[in-house]
Amino acid sequence: MINNIREAFFRNLWTENQVVRQILGICSILAVTNLMVNTLVMGLGLMFVISLSSLTISALRNYIPHRVRMIVQTFIIASYVILVDIFLKANYPELSRALGPYIGLIITNCIIMGRAEAFAQKNTPFISMLDGLFAGLGYTIVLMMISFVRELLGFGSIFGVNVNFLQLDTWTIMVMPPAAFFIIGVMIWVATALSTPKQTSQPAVQALSRGQQALANQQVKAGN
Amino acid sequence: MGQGMEVSPIVILFAAIFTSNMVLANFLGMCSFISVSNEYKTASGLGKAVTLVMVVTTVLNWLVYRWIVLPLGLEYLRFIIFIVVIAATVQIIEMVLDRYLPDLYIKLGIFLPLITVNCAILGISLFMVIRDYGFFQTLFFGIGSGLGWWLAISALAAIREKIAKNKLPYGLEGPAISFIITGIIALAFIGFSGIFIIQ
Amino acid sequence: MKGYTYTIVFTFLISAILTTVLAVANQYYQPKIQRNEEVAFKRAVLYVLDITPETEDQVETVFAQSIRAHSVDGAEVYVREGQDGQIQGYAVLMYGSGVWGSIQGYLGVSADRRVLLGIEFIAHSETPGLGGRIDESTYKEQFRGVPLLDRPISDGDVDGITGATGTSNAVLRIVNNTIDQLLPKLEVGL
Repeated sequence: MINNIREAFFRNLWTENQVVRQILGICSILAVTNLMVNTLVMGLGLMFVISLSSLTISALRNYIPHRVRMIVQTFIIASYVILVDIFLKANYPELSRALGPYIGLIITNCIIMGRAEAFAQKNTPFISMLDGLFAGLGYTIVLMMISFVRELLGFGSIFGVNVNFLQLDTWTIMVMPPAAFFIIGVMIWVATALSTPKQTSQPAVQALSRGQQALANQQVKAGN
Repeated sequence: MGQGMEVSPIVILFAAIFTSNMVLANFLGMCSFISVSNEYKTASGLGKAVTLVMVVTTVLNWLVYRWIVLPLGLEYLRFIIFIVVIAATVQIIEMVLDRYLPDLYIKLGIFLPLITVNCAILGISLFMVIRDYGFFQTLFFGIGSGLGWWLAISALAAIREKIAKNKLPYGLEGPAISFIITGIIALAFIGFSGIFIIQ
Repeated sequence: MKGYTYTIVFTFLISAILTTVLAVANQYYQPKIQRNEEVAFKRAVLYVLDITPETEDQVETVFAQSIRAHSVDGAEVYVREGQDGQIQGYAVLMYGSGVWGSIQGYLGVSADRRVLLGIEFIAHSETPGLGGRIDESTYKEQFRGVPLLDRPISDGDVDGITGATGTSNAVLRIVNNTIDQLLPKLEVGL
């Protein structure tokens, strides 16, 4: 049991990190990575949704009819996201306003559905919940690193606290969208270079995306 | 006021394609954007399918939101309702194409299942609600966002095809270089905001 | 195996349960959400009149003490009054179109109508990281103390946001329009 937990922890945080290894779930959060507070809130929201939906889906795994599996899973995920949305609106209205529609987009974050399909379906509730939690944590850590760079260089602050003691010029580009692409690109590069053995020339492109890609390419050829 | 009447649909169309592109400025639809962009032909096919689905679902969601969700006071359930509408629409489009336009189905049909989970589609519907758009604004927003997404993925795929044979530093191949290229494209697109100064 | 009826019953049940939970949560939090909107509005009015209370309770007390609402031609003008009834500034709703949708906020001018006291946004839908940066205090604070004698206010008075020319221009246009409409009303007197 302990081994399972440890395995889930390391797998999700490093060897199969959802962002830098599997390139999943980038859509919903990248837009708010210019401030660390926003990123943290989105990350916590995601961790809440992913762990509880993994728990629920795993608990119901023997009851959910196969043919409506996806829609039931989406329903469960969406419900938790709505709870987060209502909670933020009630207790942290300013954050809710700053994050706007991005809270709702947690639903389409591929990681949640990915964990549900790949793990929660086949495992017991408790370990599924932890797997989801760790996947969310690995994701949040990566995004916090991105937003740390963006906020530090873009505003000269960390969590809104000014640390620009030397009054250096801040880099406007860091606040703008392109910076997020550059930073995440470099992070994936570093993560791939650090870990994958040299002989595998193809970097760890995630299985799902490779599958999607191969399927799509193949069928386009067949279609013509 | 409140209706957002003032912004003209044409302005929304151009803004959605160029200055505030869904992928390049809002990071929506990233997953398939990165993973299905290694061949131009495939990428362009996905772009067309996304455009089609985006226009249809945004308009449907607008109708559902105005005529069902708002009168019943179900705003807090909108996420679920939108997702259901999107999933159902994709299914129906798939069946209609298969039945009546088999040629098009062969070209676009395979992309449709990938699209249900594309965050850009849900994103557009959520933006449309938050921005309180009217019917024509929504229609042009859907068209513009779809075209913008198509343009962006085609550009990325074309560049990736060009550099496919070049030798890159270890670890930079694939996703990493795609993100960096995307960043450069995004930077270039910001330049459009100097041309389309909205008055 | 599990039949068709089971599938329908299961889907129906789970939808019913989830919807009920959400409806209860929504009901429970609704009063709080409404109060938040109220506080956000009062905070915005106070902010543009250069009062920045910290807590929600302070917002309520300060607003009740020093702000009087007057209706002029169907539009509300919020007047800041000092202890002795001396007028210190006027605040008014401003709105207009941004790049994506309407931008709404408040704007305050000084009692002598020569200086802009401040602006604040309560709703907009500009792109995060680009036009959305109008919410940053570095941008908003630039409007404090801008003289109104040589209008319109232009990008010579306040710096726009890099990469968001459309939004920056829209804000200037909204601010100038609002001031143009407000000042004649104040000339007449409340």
